[in-house]
Amino acid sequence: MSNSSKSALECRNVTVKFGDVTALSEVSASFAPGQIHAVVGQNGAGKTTFARVAAGLVQPTSGAVNVMGQDIRTGQVSESRAAGVELVHQSFAMPPSFTVAETMEFGATGKGGVFSRRGLIEKWRAHLAGLDVQVDLNRRIRDLPIETQQGIEIARALVTDARVLILDEPTAVLSPAGIDMLFARVRRLKERGVTVILILHKIREVLGIADTVTVLRGGRKVEGPLPVAEVSGERLANLIVGEAVAKTLDRQDRDALVGTKAPAHEDADQQAHASGPAILSMKAISTKPDSGGIALDGVDLEIRPGEIVGIAGVEGNGQKTLVRAISALADLEGGTIDLSGHDVTRQPLAMRRKIGLRIIPFERNVEGLSLTSSLWQNWSARELLQGSLLKGIRPAAIREACDRSLKAWSVHYNNSGQRAGSLSGGNAQKVILAREIDPDAKLIIAAQPTRGLDIGATAFVWQALRQARDRGAAILLISSDLDELFDISDRVVVMLSGRLNGEFHAPFDIGLVGAAMTGAAAGASA
Amino acid sequence: MNEIIISILRSGTPLIYVTLAGVIAQRAGVWNLGLEGLMIIGACATILGIMLTKSVGAAILIAILACVLASVLLWFVIDRLKANPIIAGLGLTGLGIGGTALAIQSIFGSQATVTAPFGIPKLGPAFGSYGVLSVAVAAMPFVVFAMWVLLRRTRFGLRLAACGEHPFAARSVGANPSRMRLAALSIGGVLCAIGGAELAAGSLQFFAQGMTAGRGFMAFAAVIFGAAHPVGATFAALFFAIVGAIGIRAQLTFGDRIPHDLLQALPYLATVFGVWLSGKLRGGAKAASSFAELRDQ
Repeated sequence: MSNSSKSALECRNVTVKFGDVTALSEVSASFAPGQIHAVVGQNGAGKTTFARVAAGLVQPTSGAVNVMGQDIRTGQVSESRAAGVELVHQSFAMPPSFTVAETMEFGATGKGGVFSRRGLIEKWRAHLAGLDVQVDLNRRIRDLPIETQQGIEIARALVTDARVLILDEPTAVLSPAGIDMLFARVRRLKERGVTVILILHKIREVLGIADTVTVLRGGRKVEGPLPVAEVSGERLANLIVGEAVAKTLDRQDRDALVGTKAPAHEDADQQAHASGPAILSMKAISTKPDSGGIALDGVDLEIRPGEIVGIAGVEGNGQKTLVRAISALADLEGGTIDLSGHDVTRQPLAMRRKIGLRIIPFERNVEGLSLTSSLWQNWSARELLQGSLLKGIRPAAIREACDRSLKAWSVHYNNSGQRAGSLSGGNAQKVILAREIDPDAKLIIAAQPTRGLDIGATAFVWQALRQARDRGAAILLISSDLDELFDISDRVVVMLSGRLNGEFHAPFDIGLVGAAMTGAAAGASA
Repeated sequence: MNEIIISILRSGTPLIYVTLAGVIAQRAGVWNLGLEGLMIIGACATILGIMLTKSVGAAILIAILACVLASVLLWFVIDRLKANPIIAGLGLTGLGIGGTALAIQSIFGSQATVTAPFGIPKLGPAFGSYGVLSVAVAAMPFVVFAMWVLLRRTRFGLRLAACGEHPFAARSVGANPSRMRLAALSIGGVLCAIGGAELAAGSLQFFAQGMTAGRGFMAFAAVIFGAAHPVGATFAALFFAIVGAIGIRAQLTFGDRIPHDLLQALPYLATVFGVWLSGKLRGGAKAASSFAELRDQ
C-alpha cells in the first residue's frame, strides 16, 4: 500500500455480513493522522459496524484493517488496542456499579498486580485531570451525570496510549452545552496528536468540528474522506439521504432528519390545531422513588386535542417515569391525573386504555412487541386486553383484520403468522403504530418513536403522528433529538431531574431549550 | 461457649467454601445452582479417594479434579450449548446427588454409608479444645481473604465483575467473557471440592447419600444475601451456621416442648429470611447477570 504509511487508520474492502444481512459492503477509507474525521450516515448505514470492525469487536467477513501502516489481525480487541485504536461506545460500555477508579483500571493494560483502593485513585487521578474530567474517583458510574460518564468513557479509552480514538455517536446523548464541551475536548485531543474519528449523524455537527467527512449509506461508502471545507451542507444532506429518498421528503423534514442547520420550527399554523378541553391533565404528580428511573417531583402537564407536546431533556431526567406515571405503572406519591375528563389517578392501565390512552413505548423490542409471538397476536393485543378474559377469539377473523391494518400502514411482511422478531426496526415500529394509532386513540404517548430507524421510516412515523394530531388526538412525544422535537412539536417542555423546567413555543430557540436541559437557566420563554 | 463456636465452625466451614464458589460464579454472571451437586461430588470423591489411595492429600486432589471437570461440563453446557444456566445448574445438582449414589451402589453393592479409615488432619492438642477442628477450618479465613483480594483488588477481579455485569464492556476492553466464566467456574470447582471434603472428612469420616442436605442451596442463598461480595457472603454463610447451631442447642434444651422438626428447619427458615432481607435492603444481588447477555449488543 503506497499511501498506507500516511494513514492513521485505513480500511480496505471491508465487508461484514451478519447472517443474510450485509452490514458493510466493500468499504475502503483511509484517515490521515492528527485530524478530526467525521463518518456520517443515517441509522442502518453501517457506521457502528464500521467503528466496531476498527476496534476489533466485529470480525469482518473479508477485508483488512491497517493502523499506522501495519495490517492488524481483525476481530481481536486486544490487537486493535495494542495498535492504538480505541472506541468510545454510544451507550457507554462501563459496568454501572464500578467506581471511576475501577473503571479506569479494568480496561488498563500492562502491569497489574494487587492494588489498594487508595493506590488505584492515586494511579488514575492525574490521568483524569489531564483530560479535564473533574470527578471524585470513588463515585460509582451509575450515580454520575451523563456528560461526566462520557468524559470517563473517553478517559477509559485513553488509558492506553491511544493514537486513534473513535467515538460512536457521542453527541446523541448530550445536551447542546454538553456537545460544546465534548467538541472542546476533542479539539484538545487533536492538539495532543490523537487522530479522532467521530461517528455523527447531524450535518451541522460535522461542519462544526470535523476536518474531513466520509458518508456511508446502506452499508456502502458513498463519498469520502472529503475535506469539510469543500462540501456544502446541501450536498452532504443529499449524500446521506440519497437522491431518490431526498425527492420524496418534505424539505423541512429533510433538514430535521440530517440536522443541516440549527433546528427551528417554521410551521406557521401549528397553534391552530389545539382546541377544546385538555385530554391529559396532570396536576402536581410526584412518584415514589423506585429502580425504574428518577422520581417525578410535582409535574403539571396539560395536553389538548390536536397538539403535539414534545418532552426534551437529557436522557434519565424522568422521561421514563413520566410515561410510567401516565400508564399507571409508577407508584404515585401525590397529584391527580385526568384523562379526557375522567379522574384516572387510581385507575389501572386497562381502564386508561379504554378511555383512549395509547403508548408507543421506549423499548420497541421489549415493551412494544413480543418478538417471539406472531404479528397478528401482537397487533390484536390492544383489543384483546379490553374484552373479558373469557371472551372467545376467532384467529381467522383477527388475522384478516390484522392483514387489512398492516397493509394500510404499509408494513412489509410475508404473512401475519410470522414472528414479530423477524421484521426490521422500521417495520416493527409500523406494527406498533398500526396497533396504537386507531380512531379511538385520544392520547398517544410516543416515546423515542424513531430511535434506530432509518430516514424513510422516521419520516413515516412523523407523518403518522401529524395525521393523528390533525384528527384531534393529543400527542406526547419524548425524544432526545431536538431536531425531531422542534420539527413536529407544537410545544416543547423540558424535563430536568424529575421536574418540568420550562415550556417553549415555536419558533424554538435551541440556546434557551439547551440551557433549560442543563438547568443553566430556569424559567420559560414566550 | 467453646463448644458452640466449634460446632458453628464445623458446620460453617464447608458452607463458606461452597459459598465462595458461588460468589465467584455470580460475579462472572453465572447463577450457579449446581453448587449442591458439586459439593456432594467433592464429598463422595474425597471419601472414595481416601479409601483408594490411603492419602488425604491425594483424595482431595481427586475431589478437586472431579469437581473441576463437573464445573467445566456446566460451563460447556451453558456457554457453548447456550443452555439456560438455571436449568443446567439444577441438572448438575441432580447429577451430583444421583451420580454419587450410583457410584456407591455400584462399588459397594449397597447404598449404605461409606466410612473412611481416617479424615482430614486435625489441628491437634496445641489448639486446646479447638484442636478437634480440621486444618481446612483453619485455612478458611485465609481462603476468604485470598478470594477478597482476587475479586476486589486485582484487575482480574474487575474484569470478572465486568463480564458478569456488562459483558459488552468487558469485551470492548479485550476480555473474553466466555473464558472468564470458565475460569470462575473452575476456581469454584476447586472450592466446592474443598467444601465437600471438609463436610465428609473434616469432623466426620464418612459419606452418606444426600449428605449435603441442601447446603449447596443454602450457600447460594448466602451469595445472594451477601450481594456476591466474598466477605459479605462469608458472613451470610456464617449467620446460617450460627442459626443452625442454635437450632441444635434448642433441640437439646427444648426438644421435649417444641417439635423437633421445627427446630431442624431453623437454618432453612433463616435462609428464606436472609434472602428476603437482602432483597429489601439492596434490591437483590448486584450481579443479576444471567440476563446480562441481553445487553451484550
